[in-house]
Amino acid sequence: MIIIIDNQEVQVSYGDTILDAAQRAKIHIPTLCHHQAFAGQGRCRLCLVEVTEQGRKRIVASCTYPITREITVCTSTPRIEKMRKNLVMFLYKQAPASKLLQSMYRDYECQDNSLPENAGEKCMLCNLCVLACEEMGSSAISLIMRGTEKKVATPYNEASLDCLGCGACAAICPTQAIELTERDGYRTIWNKEFKLVNCQNCGQPYATQEQLAYIESRGPDNEMLHCCLSCRQKMTAQKIKIFT
Amino acid sequence: MRNKQNEVRQVMVCCGTGCQASGSKQVLEAFITQLQSLEGVEAVASTKATGCNGWCEQGPLVKILPDDITYCLVKVKDVPVIIEKTILGHGIVERLLYRDPISKNRVQSHHQLDFYRKQKKVALRNIGEIDPASIADYMARDGYQAFKKAITMSAQEIVDEIINSGLRGRGGGGYPTGLKWKSCLQQEEKQRYIICNGDEGDPGAFMDRSIMEGDPHTVIEGMLICAMALGASKGYIYVRDEYDLAVKNLTRAIQDAREHSLLGDKIMGREFSFHIELVRGGGAFVCGEETALLASIEGNVGEPWDKYYFPSEKGLWGYPTVINNVETWANIPVIIGQGAQDFAQIGTENSKGTKVFSLVGKVINTGLVEVPMGTTLREIIFEIGGGIINGRKFKAVQTGGPSGGCIPAELLDLKLDFDSLHEAGSMMGSGGLIVMDERTCMVEVARYYLNFLAGESCGKCVPCREGIRHMLEILTRICEGRGRTGDLELLEELAETVQEASLCGLGKTAPNPVLSTIRYFRAEYLDHIENRFCPAGICRNLTRFSIDPEKCTGCGLCKKNCPANCISGERKEVHTIDPQGCIKCGSCIDTCKFNAVLVQQEVGL
Amino acid sequence: MADEVIHADNEIRNIIQAYPPEKRFILAVMQDVQKSCNYLPKEALLGIAEYVGVPFSRVYSLATFYKAFSLTPKGRYNIKVCDGTACHIKGSPVLIDQIQNSLGIGPGETTADEIFSLETVNCLGACAIAPVMMVNDKVHPKVSSSAILEIIKGYRKEADHEE
Repeated sequence: MIIIIDNQEVQVSYGDTILDAAQRAKIHIPTLCHHQAFAGQGRCRLCLVEVTEQGRKRIVASCTYPITREITVCTSTPRIEKMRKNLVMFLYKQAPASKLLQSMYRDYECQDNSLPENAGEKCMLCNLCVLACEEMGSSAISLIMRGTEKKVATPYNEASLDCLGCGACAAICPTQAIELTERDGYRTIWNKEFKLVNCQNCGQPYATQEQLAYIESRGPDNEMLHCCLSCRQKMTAQKIKIFT
Repeated sequence: MRNKQNEVRQVMVCCGTGCQASGSKQVLEAFITQLQSLEGVEAVASTKATGCNGWCEQGPLVKILPDDITYCLVKVKDVPVIIEKTILGHGIVERLLYRDPISKNRVQSHHQLDFYRKQKKVALRNIGEIDPASIADYMARDGYQAFKKAITMSAQEIVDEIINSGLRGRGGGGYPTGLKWKSCLQQEEKQRYIICNGDEGDPGAFMDRSIMEGDPHTVIEGMLICAMALGASKGYIYVRDEYDLAVKNLTRAIQDAREHSLLGDKIMGREFSFHIELVRGGGAFVCGEETALLASIEGNVGEPWDKYYFPSEKGLWGYPTVINNVETWANIPVIIGQGAQDFAQIGTENSKGTKVFSLVGKVINTGLVEVPMGTTLREIIFEIGGGIINGRKFKAVQTGGPSGGCIPAELLDLKLDFDSLHEAGSMMGSGGLIVMDERTCMVEVARYYLNFLAGESCGKCVPCREGIRHMLEILTRICEGRGRTGDLELLEELAETVQEASLCGLGKTAPNPVLSTIRYFRAEYLDHIENRFCPAGICRNLTRFSIDPEKCTGCGLCKKNCPANCISGERKEVHTIDPQGCIKCGSCIDTCKFNAVLVQQEVGL
Repeated sequence: MADEVIHADNEIRNIIQAYPPEKRFILAVMQDVQKSCNYLPKEALLGIAEYVGVPFSRVYSLATFYKAFSLTPKGRYNIKVCDGTACHIKGSPVLIDQIQNSLGIGPGETTADEIFSLETVNCLGACAIAPVMMVNDKVHPKVSSSAILEIIKGYRKEADHEE
């Protein structure tokens, strides 16, 4: 099936989202809550686009809208830009301490207004950390409460029994809102302290005990499990060399 | 004519939530015990607990048949008199009859009242007439006859009948019910689900509660007919857990229907099985939104998802699902039983049938009313509702709950239907009609709804969560006397983004109460912002009450009712309010019979 | 099965196991626990997670999303003031203020002696008899600001009497 995005013909399959199709065609649509590893969430609404379908125009979230027939998409109209500008303003007011949102606030030329800011906040509630945590198999964090009180947390804000300290949440966070510190062989995240294990090859700390135990429990022992990522890469390269 | 004197009297005590709160359960028990002590009681009278009669204002209501007498505001101590005079003596207890406030005449039967005479009961046809706990009562009024008729029809015929009736969803959006069913019927997937949305959340609306409590079998029959047409074997009724009586009566009704082979496996010996499960909602307004409701039934947080597929295509657990609201289901047996043609004759061009409204707020007769679509606001508020309490001036009526808007006095002749309300900047919603008078501040009403929505937004998408938060902030500062020039324009600007960018219906309609009040009551907003004055005397920071010495008669009523004890004055002398102690509750202005309490601007602003 | 639910005490365990171990029954279980315990104890949430086999964080997420649940114990008398629209325009905000001043607790809080909790609720569906207040299961219709404190006093007396 072929659809039109910004006057450009794009080949798509039935059920693809508009965002997928646009990204493949290298057409930029701004997003904040989207990550290629996960299905679209429709939270930040920055990816809104205008769809014309059988003569009818509507605004849809491109990350969740499934293409089921031939449509024409416009990724930027004055109306959409105005909306995005307001959305960026909303997001900035929600998380004004985020560098990313600070720069977007400037780029979108948002004007200062009288609306209050959540001073010091960096989290914009995109939920990517929760998805990453779920993907890693621990689901230690979740979105709690609702409406304007919504936030990401562990149950009761306590050190979670399920947290492996893998740091996937912090790594995926677009606004560096999740605090992860490493000192003296210990990693602290979500109010919990983890002992770090050193790489058998280079001796650098690279993972938590809980993380390794979890990986071991999931599959057969892997000799490379005991080394850090960069050493693993070097060893793999070495192997390939020998092989060729 | 039959001789009423010798017939067994039926004492029908309204046990809807309103009447129960006013003590009707105790009245019922008093009837039961006191009648039991009579000899040969079976030949004299029987008692029955009915669902809500709608006229909650005058509850507890006791109806006596076949005499057709309606007693209002009945207390336990009135029971012996009623038994003696009416049940044994065939007379009437005059003082318990409703007294028409205009003619001052006592009215014997509720059928003679304007409140009932102008109504047309379809969805509410059985409520107040039957014992909701009795399937026999329901059957005696043609209950389950529509289902038996549907058995003789093909799936297509049933769906066509609903399409031809013109029935539109009574829960909010007004989407044609038949088209939902048709879309579901067309799906290749044969595993299908039927859902009744009883998560009535619009503050000020309680018709669904009343139907589930007062006539649970009509909901079951409606779902059953749909299930048979679509070949669905499982249905869910999602009901607010706070609705204790509804949960109880529905549970009983499902059980009874099962025992009568109207639910369960091989219904009435046929190759058709249908089970209904009750799901108690957890208290989240957003779960009235179809996709959030589905998420909740599945055991998830009630976050909606983008509705690019309709639930009739991909619904519960991804299967085609028909979701209708309680009142919609209650109409189905009537449409199938009496035919689409009959139904389509009621109402307006594009809104067929009747609509139940909950008429509440500053109106004399509060309660549930069911009228044909196209009835004007004026008829409902002034003829059925009897006008505004305390003879005050009508100011506005709020329709459609937090998704709706406020309609001003200029539009009192608006014929109520889905489209006219939409054009007026409001919506039908579930049918709440909240009547407001000059003592209602429209800015505060807008703030109220936004505050409600801020607590009820699921918080998933940015425009709804953050947009509502900021709009609420602006409205709060206006109400507190910190409004700024340009605030109205800022509100309108934010409203546009919230409407267009939000994920679900909650967010998309959230700005309506604000936009409609700005549209019709801009001057009142400006009074708050520019003059720091609340003409209704509701916004406490902006209000000071005082007593007009010219008008005060020194009757002392305000003093007696002041909860802060800050009104002083001797009898028959002019009273004064101590502004230091005043909590600005407005009891004085609401109780004064001489319009002597003045709303003034607070000093020092 | 019984051994699996190590965290929850007997009563809670019985409530949890009254339902099949499926995610879709979590809400129902929580409602029953809330009714029985007056709140959701942490052990109950852990017990549900374990019994149903879902992450604890998901159960906690549900418990904090739905308004019907409380994570802290409620007082003996749970006062619910309806702030639905009909009640609101008939004066419920003043009632809430009065209770707040009289008991010294805001909505969502419980008095130190654990006698009273105050909540505002969105709509009890009894709009025709507004303003409405519920104390535990008893509905008080058409509450006026001159009567409210007497009602509270009545419950206080009842509590004193029981002690």
